[in-house]
Amino acid sequence: MSVVANLEPHALDPQLELAELTEQARGDGALVTFVGLARPESRNGEAVDALVLDHHPTLTRQSLEHIAVACAERFDVSHIRVVHRCGTIPAGEPIVFAGASSIHRRAAFDAADYLMDRLKTEAVFWKREVGDGGAKWIEPTEADFADRDRWG
Amino acid sequence: MKVLLYGRLTESIGRQLQLEAAEGCSVAELRRRLADAHPSAAGHLGRSRALIGGSVVADERRVRADEEVEFLPPVSGG
Repeated sequence: MSVVANLEPHALDPQLELAELTEQARGDGALVTFVGLARPESRNGEAVDALVLDHHPTLTRQSLEHIAVACAERFDVSHIRVVHRCGTIPAGEPIVFAGASSIHRRAAFDAADYLMDRLKTEAVFWKREVGDGGAKWIEPTEADFADRDRWG
Repeated sequence: MKVLLYGRLTESIGRQLQLEAAEGCSVAELRRRLADAHPSAAGHLGRSRALIGGSVVADERRVRADEEVEFLPPVSGG
């Protein structure tokens, strides 16, 4: 069992993270990953050049670790890997990698789903979209909270 | 005392402030003082958690001059 939760201030390479997780998961039968990308468009259809994630020097990493450990305890998984960007992420670039491996596929699917639902609502970040129209702060949507609440 | 701010609060107040506050002023007094000086941040300050030494503190908590107070608005999530 391993749990990795990293805060990445520079570029996030999903292929590299997948390779690391695949190497760890050699004894498993399933590996599920999710890669989130910075959207080039806001919910209102305005062009977005970049997403800027403000973070706390200690609490942000702790929140990632807390969510990853809770996931490992909840599901029958072997390895969890969460890597989250902070700072300025140009549109189209990866913002988060969340992966889980397990003996059988269902646990890995559920774990990846759970990781993202909690990250989207509870990870300690303050996000703003930056584009031609200026900067706009982003908060979780009702749908994000409803997704998280599925897990009780 | 040193005050650190995050998220929306940085927009109107900045990342950090050094305040000459009276020894033993409460977190509530500090919050009010910041809101008076930065009216556009008053709403967000009211919804922010206050932390000292990495732990959430109540508004009644007295702050020493050598302590650092952080105000964290509700998080956006990742």
